[in-house]
Amino acid sequence: MLVFVVLSLFTGFIAYTPNPVNVVDHVGYLTDNEIQQLQARIDKIKDRYKLDVVIVITDNTNGKSSMKYADDYYDYNDYGVDDKDSGLLMLINMQDREVWISTHARAIDIYTDSRISGMVNGITSYLSNGYYYDACNAFIDDVIKYAKYSDTSYGGKVSRMLKSWPVYVIPLVISIVSTLVITGNSKGEVTTSTRTYEEAGSFTLTQNTDMYLRETTTRTKIQSQPPSGGGGGHSTTHKSSSGRTHGGGGGKF
Amino acid sequence: MSSVKGYKCPNCNAPLEFNPPTQNWKCHYCGSEFNLEQVDTVHKEEASDQDIQELDSYKCSSCGAELIADATTSATFCLYCKSPTIIKSRFSGKFKPRSVIPFHITKDQAKEIYKNWITKKLFAPKEFKQKEEIDKVTGIYAPFWLFDCKANGMISGEATRVSTWRKGDYLYTNTKYFLVTRKGTAKYKRIPVDGSKKLDDRFMQMVEPFDYSDIKDFSMKYMSGFMAERYDVESEQAKTTMQMRAKSYMEDRLRSTVTGYSSFSVRDKHIDLSNIEASYAMLPIYLLINKYKGKDHVFIINGQTGKVVGDTPISTLRQIVFALIVFVVTWIICVFGGALIV
Repeated sequence: MLVFVVLSLFTGFIAYTPNPVNVVDHVGYLTDNEIQQLQARIDKIKDRYKLDVVIVITDNTNGKSSMKYADDYYDYNDYGVDDKDSGLLMLINMQDREVWISTHARAIDIYTDSRISGMVNGITSYLSNGYYYDACNAFIDDVIKYAKYSDTSYGGKVSRMLKSWPVYVIPLVISIVSTLVITGNSKGEVTTSTRTYEEAGSFTLTQNTDMYLRETTTRTKIQSQPPSGGGGGHSTTHKSSSGRTHGGGGGKF
Repeated sequence: MSSVKGYKCPNCNAPLEFNPPTQNWKCHYCGSEFNLEQVDTVHKEEASDQDIQELDSYKCSSCGAELIADATTSATFCLYCKSPTIIKSRFSGKFKPRSVIPFHITKDQAKEIYKNWITKKLFAPKEFKQKEEIDKVTGIYAPFWLFDCKANGMISGEATRVSTWRKGDYLYTNTKYFLVTRKGTAKYKRIPVDGSKKLDDRFMQMVEPFDYSDIKDFSMKYMSGFMAERYDVESEQAKTTMQMRAKSYMEDRLRSTVTGYSSFSVRDKHIDLSNIEASYAMLPIYLLINKYKGKDHVFIINGQTGKVVGDTPISTLRQIVFALIVFVVTWIICVFGGALIV
């Protein structure tokens, strides 16, 4: 008995089971069947990419902002698959007609500001038309897409490499160029020069004149180049009430 | 008087051959070596200034067998007894060379040079890399016309000097034009021109330069142990080739004195050559001619300096295999190495 308790504590500690409910619909926009379908897709993501994905639909945030509600919901409901509780949560806030995506741990780095704003744009277009199930699927599609990009396992990187064009173009260029270079390998070159057969000291200049003829001056306006703007993969973060760090973003619909 | 000459060892009467490393004559039978004076005391006979009648056939001075030789071959080996033999008529009269540069590279060194060169030619067909092929490398004294001349030249043309500067929002470009004229003279010594139709002029020019500090008065002795060809390009014909070279040398020389300009283009030039003198010389090369799909491929080593020129056929199959291997290897490196980096 004691062994069993110790064992269960031990395994419980190692294989800590996160909250198994990933789709929470307080409003009832989704059918049971739809919820099951979404849950199945999310389970695959959890297994494959070790990222937790949560969808919450509510019309009462208890006075909290979308950001705060989303952060807290994730923090206080045991979400997160890996030891850092990595994952992300999409809140559809019907009270404010707002969608918010909250990211945590590894998800902060994967879902950068620009990716989130793209995701939010896609989702809000469905939400404003009332397609809640489609919006959830669009969200999961994007989650998978970027998780794939950011799969940091060696296998994931290799499969990404296989799909990128430089791994085909670079070898092709190297192969063609090296073959041409070796083919054109010189037959030998003329190493005699003007001076080879010239009797030493026999060359004399008898006339050496440089006559000035004319000159021209032209001017062209210098085009000033505007400095190019930076941008790209940055994620802004904030601390939630639990003290954990979150990233994310949202938009109205 | 026999019409062919073979140099015999004073000790054992076996054939003597010129030995490049010692610059002496060596008997491969008894191992004795003789220097120039020693050979001269035994073999006083030299190439004749008089034309000697060409015969229909020549007989080996050692074994009496008939020599198999082209009309221009002047030193060769007896097909039967391998003795070096020299056909005197082909070094006499108008075919008597004035000078010779003896071989410095031995046949073994030449084979080694060829082997190194061909192994670097990745796309050369396999046949070219076989030992039988390498053994075909032959030392030949090639007939050359050496020309001395005086050049008198003038070039003139327009030169520009461009300067640019910035002022405010504008970039200013100033171009000054000059009429540049150069006149000069130079003397050229011993510009070599290949005197054999058999040998490719282009490669023969690439195998230059020869070091003239080592040039010797001609003697048939040096031919012993090598092949030799007599000229079949007359000096008048070779002269036109030389004139083109001398003129371009002079033009380049004058051009090199036009300095300090952004550009210079020759509008007018005139180069005269005078005091042209030709002399006939034997210069040493190692030659290998490979036939591949009906086309000759030449390999030549300068027998004095060891400089290498030549071409090999390209095997398309080897090219494709090489390109494929490179592609696959770099592809694997890109995929698996790239995955480590990203």
